Amino acid sequence: MINVGKKVLILTLAFLFLVGGMSLAQDLPREETLVVSGAMWGPPSTWNILIPNPTPGTGGLVYETMFSYNPLDNTYTPWLAKSGEWVSENEYVLNLREGINWTDGEEFNAEDVVFTYEIAKENSIMYSPVWKWLQSVEAEGDYTVRFTFSEPHYAEWNAELYERYIIPEHIWSDIPSGELITRTMKDPVGTGPYTAREVGQDRMVWERNDNWWGNDVFGQPKPKYLVDLVNQSNNVVMGMLMKGELDLSNNFIPGVQKIKDQFGLKTWYEEEPYMLSWNTANLYMNTTRKPMGDVNFRRAMAFMVNKESIVERVYGGLVKAANPTGLFGEGWLKYLDEEVVDEYGFEYNTTKAKALLNDAGYVDADGDGWRDMPNGDPLELSIIVPSGWTDWMSAVRVIAQNAEEIGVNIKPNFPDSSLFDNKRFNKDFDMLIANFQTTLSSTPFDYWNGVANENIDGKTISNGNWGAYDNPELFELIDEFNMTRNETRKQEIASKIQRILLKDMPTVPLWHNGLWAQQTTNNWTNWPSEDKPYGVPVTWGNAYQLGMIDTLIGIKPAK
Amino acid sequence: MGKYLRKKLMIYIITFILAVTINFIIPRMMPGDPIQSLLSRFSGMEGGRQILEEQLTLLFNLDQPVWQQYLNFWKSVFTLDFGISIIQFPTPVIDIIKRAIVYDLSVLFPAIILSWIVGNKLGAYSGTDKKVDNASMPFFYFLASSPYFWMAGLVAFFFGVVLQWFPISGAYSAVASPALSWNFIKNFLHHWFLPFFTMFLVQLGGWAIGMRNMIMYEKSSNYSKYMETLGSSKKLIRKYGFRNGVLPQVTGLALRIGRIVGGAITVQVVFNYPGLGRMLLDAVQNQDYFLMQGIFLTIVTMVLVANFVVDIVYMFIDPRVRLSFTEEV
Amino acid sequence: MAKDFWAKHENLYYALTNKKVLFGLSIVILVFLLAAFGPLLTRYEYDEYAGQGYLPPSSEHFFGTTIDGKDVFTRTVHGLRSTLLVGAIAGTIATLIGCIIGFVAGYYGGTIFDELLMMLTNIFVVIPQLALLIVIAAFLEVRGTFVMAVIVASTAWPWTARAVRSQTLSLKNQEYVSLSKISSISVGRILREDIASNMFSYVFMVFIQQFNGTMLATVQLEFLGLGPTKGISLGLVMQNAVNWNGIQLGMWWWAIIPGLILAILITALYFVNTGLDAAFNPRLREM
Repeated sequence: MINVGKKVLILTLAFLFLVGGMSLAQDLPREETLVVSGAMWGPPSTWNILIPNPTPGTGGLVYETMFSYNPLDNTYTPWLAKSGEWVSENEYVLNLREGINWTDGEEFNAEDVVFTYEIAKENSIMYSPVWKWLQSVEAEGDYTVRFTFSEPHYAEWNAELYERYIIPEHIWSDIPSGELITRTMKDPVGTGPYTAREVGQDRMVWERNDNWWGNDVFGQPKPKYLVDLVNQSNNVVMGMLMKGELDLSNNFIPGVQKIKDQFGLKTWYEEEPYMLSWNTANLYMNTTRKPMGDVNFRRAMAFMVNKESIVERVYGGLVKAANPTGLFGEGWLKYLDEEVVDEYGFEYNTTKAKALLNDAGYVDADGDGWRDMPNGDPLELSIIVPSGWTDWMSAVRVIAQNAEEIGVNIKPNFPDSSLFDNKRFNKDFDMLIANFQTTLSSTPFDYWNGVANENIDGKTISNGNWGAYDNPELFELIDEFNMTRNETRKQEIASKIQRILLKDMPTVPLWHNGLWAQQTTNNWTNWPSEDKPYGVPVTWGNAYQLGMIDTLIGIKPAK
Repeated sequence: MGKYLRKKLMIYIITFILAVTINFIIPRMMPGDPIQSLLSRFSGMEGGRQILEEQLTLLFNLDQPVWQQYLNFWKSVFTLDFGISIIQFPTPVIDIIKRAIVYDLSVLFPAIILSWIVGNKLGAYSGTDKKVDNASMPFFYFLASSPYFWMAGLVAFFFGVVLQWFPISGAYSAVASPALSWNFIKNFLHHWFLPFFTMFLVQLGGWAIGMRNMIMYEKSSNYSKYMETLGSSKKLIRKYGFRNGVLPQVTGLALRIGRIVGGAITVQVVFNYPGLGRMLLDAVQNQDYFLMQGIFLTIVTMVLVANFVVDIVYMFIDPRVRLSFTEEV
Repeated sequence: MAKDFWAKHENLYYALTNKKVLFGLSIVILVFLLAAFGPLLTRYEYDEYAGQGYLPPSSEHFFGTTIDGKDVFTRTVHGLRSTLLVGAIAGTIATLIGCIIGFVAGYYGGTIFDELLMMLTNIFVVIPQLALLIVIAAFLEVRGTFVMAVIVASTAWPWTARAVRSQTLSLKNQEYVSLSKISSISVGRILREDIASNMFSYVFMVFIQQFNGTMLATVQLEFLGLGPTKGISLGLVMQNAVNWNGIQLGMWWWAIIPGLILAILITALYFVNTGLDAAFNPRLREM
């Protein structure tokens, strides 16, 4: 009997080896490998940089941008470009670095930049809308490009400079139009510091490009290999961090602040809020429904929500409460008008909230304990967030509780993620929380556009302003801000915008979701932090050029 | 013998049909419109729309009459086309299953066989020696009473955290790549041991208790008492008792396979071991219907096959069945 | 008088004096008391932030606190209530169904009726219980205690049916039943007096086994997050412990103790069952 058992065991093991996958890959040397996680939600399947979400790292590690942007001090660093400037109101001239090569040996030059934009003109891809205000792109010699605008959008152009990845003309021009976004572009050819090395079901492995032009200009990235793991559940990531198996995690790990000291984890700030802010979570109200259409009701909501409670109880201090304008980050705070905030701002104040509601006629008409509409109809609202987003679910419960304290009936609801999106796009909600268009960037135009976007007339809304808040005066001001270069004038416009937003309160800025990042020092040290802000440790898609490359250059092996 | 096998086969076939039908019915009974929700989730992914349309035509073609949809569903089952997963988009479900099944089999196979062998031996020993019995029975009871995932936690805590002898998460570490190298095999076994050990321990208790009870019954039977009066050694009595006691244990194995697979699911969750069990849970929590159906069907099939194998083995060791003296199985 | 009573119910006598039964029963009673009165012993609510997180057991917190400061003892005793309740209801339902089916199948043993019932039973036995439960439970939006019990019972009864059937079969063929049959005593009376009275002890033991099984199945479902949608359960406490890295953080009071109570309860019930087996079955009595 035992012999049979042994034989079976051996056979089983043999079977396993045969089946277990037989790539010829070897183990990577741990001291030269950086293991990260937090960016990928599924197995890497496409490296096509023309779609919004290819495998994270495709943009930044392989393909590069004209400038890189430092959100910590709001500065631009020339990257593929050597310099760029507005030579007239509507002409921008870019000077490129010389001596840069694509990883297949071809030379990088102005043709590539021109092609990158022309391809968006001839096909409908995600950044084609730039041609609504861009008139022409021309190469002037090998290393100069002139952009001529029909309508200069200065704020949006600044974002283009660090968001647009330049693609090689000699490769992409051969792709037929119909396949432009469906090709996976495996083994992508770029100018950047890493190349694709190995693709796994649960990981993406990048290898350092020792011919990278930046090695001489900025320094060489220290890790020879970068292993990006597909996200696992929180406890697994925590476990890996505790053992030092993960070097950098960009996952949201509730409770990490409690164990970080014990296990030597590093975060940006030593104390609360531990993390840099990444976006603003706003409470959107559907202005097409009563009573959200009433500005007094909306303002009452702002005074009703106890943001601190959400920050402390739901997030344990891992996020920061938003300031009443929703602005944060150096690039945006430049335009913050403190006076406007003092005059029209809000804070948690149930007395004020109740007063606002009372004055506007929202009182308890039938004595059931809940406030009713001014005309006597019952007032029952629902607030939705996607099911499974446990922190948002908890936050929404806090809000519902706050509402109950002042007699307003708001019930939390947790539809499945796709249903949530559906409701969001189709104005089919009372209130919801969203942070999708309010991510850290170089200009507050992005924030205002996300909160009060003017495209609200179609059947569906896809760009922000989910509550269809309509204010033509505001829309004009936002556009003007985009198209002004004069700093003084911009400050004026910014103040006006903030005043309108605070007075009208189409959304209530609640808190800033964090740039979740925790690092271990078992294998790599000298991580950037509050004391050493030389880079930003973020591996999320399309964010590498915000400071991760600097981080890769700056970290040191632990031994 | 033929009758015995035929009866068993019929049960398995009916069960399989039942499982496929359950898979067919459930999405259609869901509140709301699961197909719309599927559509909207896929449409967010690159190339999703066209892939989805193909899948929907295959599995959900709603303009056709229901019986035709049912037949199409069966067709997809036989071509092993279970659709595309959402959580691991755009991987086909069958690929995910193929990859994950290794981890289930590698833990279940050795655990079931070893625990059965060792458990029965220990139980037999215990059944014949009163002193051993009093000492070991509480221990076996305790093992058999432990929820699988709790035992997993205990084992993980003791061997993984306190003694730090084994890792307690994953199938292999982050810097290892699956290969035929000694390094990888070591890594794999290192992660494999605790899940295996957990499954082994809990089942061990059950077999030991069962065999011990059987032995005691056999001991009070006529032939056993007769041997005792003849002065046969304890070992000989045990051997005969064992031979008779083993029969219900084999049947018991078949009966228990369903439960063991269930326990394995929870153990995989604790150890983050990427087997079918854990994937099933992920699929359910993310409403990845295609993956869920594929895994459910696979698990059912695995259990049916295992049952059938056990039935054949039983046929060979129980002469009564071979000679069709009784249908009492 | 007492002697007469015991003489008539000698089974009961043996049952209550068996060491195993007494030992097991006392533990079972303790656990039930804990579930019934435990919540009164603690001044916290199970969802309340009762104090600092990550505290080991103390006089303030008998079982320590979770990582975010909830009292583990409170959560355990409340959860124990819920799990025991579901397990008990499910066990009862499963035993009932199993007995009826097993009884009928056994009595009409050998006929086509029996064959069909056995086929049905075997199908349910073969289907992997937890996989099916996961799929079903996932599709129910709201799961209350009773619904959960029904779900669990629906896959637990086959075991009882088989056991009851084989016992019925063997009893049916006993001499005294044949005697009753020859004496043309009515079927109902045969069932009642000869078969059922002998079955009672057996059914009782079967019920205990069933209870064990349903509690384990219940706690597994709860652990996977498919337990009752409201409130707390033992499996949920343990799920939290695993999900919040209680094991890695060495929080044995959170990860181990709640499950230990359940394991002890089930072990104790095993003891009771073995003891009863010996008590009711003269052949095993000398052990």
